[in-house]
Amino acid sequence: MTTRRGFMAGMLATGLAPKPSWADAGNPAYLSAAKRPDGSYHLYGLDELGAPLFSVPLPDRGHAAAAHPSRPEAVAFARRPGTFAIVLDCISGGIRSRMEAPEGRHFYGHGVFSADGSLLFTPENDYEAGQGRIGVWQAGTDYIRIDEFSSGGVGPHDIARLPGTDTMVVANGGIETHPDAGRAKLNLPVMRPNLTYLDGMGQVTGQIELNADLHLNSIRHLAVRDDGLVAFAMQWQGDGAVHPPLLGLHRDGDDVLLLQAPDDLHRRMEGYAGSVAISSDGGSVAITSPRGGAIQMFDTDTAVFAAELPQGDVCGINAGPEGFVATTGNGTVIHMEQGRVLGAESHRVAWDNHLIRL
Amino acid sequence: MRFLILLAFVITPLTGWAQDRSATIQDVVEAHILPGFTRLASASAALSQAAQADCAAASEGLRGAFNDAFDAWIGVSHLRFGPTETGNRAFALAFWPDPRSATPKALSAMIEAEDPVVESADAFQTVSIAARGFYALEFLLYDPQISALGSGAYRCALIRAVAADVDNTAQAILTDWQDHYAALLISPENSDVYRSDEEVLQELFKALTTGLQFTADTRLGRPLGTFDQPRPTRAEARRAGRSLRHVQLSLIALRDLAQRLASISPEASATLDAAFAQSLDLTERLDDPVFAGVADPQGRLRVEALQQSIGRIREIAAADLGPALGVAAGFNALDGD
Repeated sequence: MTTRRGFMAGMLATGLAPKPSWADAGNPAYLSAAKRPDGSYHLYGLDELGAPLFSVPLPDRGHAAAAHPSRPEAVAFARRPGTFAIVLDCISGGIRSRMEAPEGRHFYGHGVFSADGSLLFTPENDYEAGQGRIGVWQAGTDYIRIDEFSSGGVGPHDIARLPGTDTMVVANGGIETHPDAGRAKLNLPVMRPNLTYLDGMGQVTGQIELNADLHLNSIRHLAVRDDGLVAFAMQWQGDGAVHPPLLGLHRDGDDVLLLQAPDDLHRRMEGYAGSVAISSDGGSVAITSPRGGAIQMFDTDTAVFAAELPQGDVCGINAGPEGFVATTGNGTVIHMEQGRVLGAESHRVAWDNHLIRL
Repeated sequence: MRFLILLAFVITPLTGWAQDRSATIQDVVEAHILPGFTRLASASAALSQAAQADCAAASEGLRGAFNDAFDAWIGVSHLRFGPTETGNRAFALAFWPDPRSATPKALSAMIEAEDPVVESADAFQTVSIAARGFYALEFLLYDPQISALGSGAYRCALIRAVAADVDNTAQAILTDWQDHYAALLISPENSDVYRSDEEVLQELFKALTTGLQFTADTRLGRPLGTFDQPRPTRAEARRAGRSLRHVQLSLIALRDLAQRLASISPEASATLDAAFAQSLDLTERLDDPVFAGVADPQGRLRVEALQQSIGRIREIAAADLGPALGVAAGFNALDGD
């Protein structure tokens, strides 16, 4: 008996049925988790202008998501120390599959696909050992756990793939936590964040640490440019009277470049960068600080501060059609270029930490 | 004339507000911070002297001095900026939590090797930070294994070295506070560390909220573990029977700081104080000095109730006090990742 699924599979195998692509998905441009006024959590698909196209309920607070490179499919992750992830059909907004972190692991809220889309990599906490792991999942109809390897540090948070390669870069934040004690930081005196480059098999191909006096500067979030330039955003765990840089640029094999705005403006970030993004043209890099209520932009080539835009409770940011698009906990979606606001929309939700570009 | 009167109306509250802020900071520095670090310095000096006088782990005098100095530390352990952060001084006094058991490992290694580093105070500052401070001393005085490990003479030298090191660190912190940091908070415009009263108040508010968070998430959260897997052996300083005491002492100190900060926002003052009173009342009625009760459902419920009550203090502080001090209280600002 020919099942519908078998028939479809046959069609697909012979290439008779067109495979759904991102173009069929009504062109959602971004994903973001959000909290609704009633306290429930949802994942939203947004168009280029930030208007919601669909939403899917989440069992708990979400964080970030990973977009499949070719299929109109994305995986949305629980916020740490959550253990769920959902595979989302970005055409219908329906849930295709669910993933659960294995026993003894939790997700950090981020993930990335291999270049061919066959594998998904997820930063995880092996919390009994206090070591970072990268889970490897086969990204088929269902997502099957097939392997894992060391993240090269403690507290791996964000992960990104250098475009056109299967080299991944991991932000090992350095902070040990255990889900038993929620988000309590357990190892501040000895924390050592790093940026680790891994190939698809988990071999470390590069790793950098900042100077010892910055060991309390947790490397947390990443953005990558087409040519492999990596931007990383940090969160300072030390003395509030000290104002270390919160943004770095790095290219594997080179030295790190640390960036900050002129002192008065830099202090407004309050030692905390929540997200980082690189503009579509690659010429600009931006960080957000919800605590400071500000977006700061820098020139990627000269590493010079370019502009600041005050924006209350801003955190999510990504490349826009021009410049950047950012989201806030007050429900605003804002388009900007070089500190100039191009447009803003408001929604009755609190946009959560990250805005994912599809 | 009418214009002048109007102007006077507009200016007076603003000037009053600036004076309020300045007076609030001065009050926190002079009545909360400096007395706290003075107490820590004198109690640490007494601790070092007690260790010199009698280094036996079971010595009443030494244990008494240890507990007094540890009390003094908990009373300032939320003031994590400036002098405590220079050269990792606070970490050198307080290496906890210790999820990898670095403290007993480092101490055992030193005792077994009879590491001569104990002979010089300067050299001792180079040992693993896990082997320094109050939590290391607690192991040396109260842990059945560590307090009986190796030679008595070496353990004695190690106890004296740790106590002297605590004393040195405490004196250095106090000296920095007295010499310049107090003035810098009171008159921020004279330096580059803080640029305004607002920045100072934000630092003090952060000390309050971070202190509350540490007590709720770490001091209580670590031993609570999960319902299926409670972790009573993770309670802070349980060997010395101090776990609940630390929660009480930290709440008392944080309440004092909160009340002084809330002088700027009288509406927040009463609700905050009532919330602190409720938490402290729960600690009084807990009757579980090392949170051993987390392992049974009823005892656990009471520790959870205490943790939740501290959560309520945090919510009130964030919603009512923070905005009055110029601290953002948004969804992402309060709880980012």
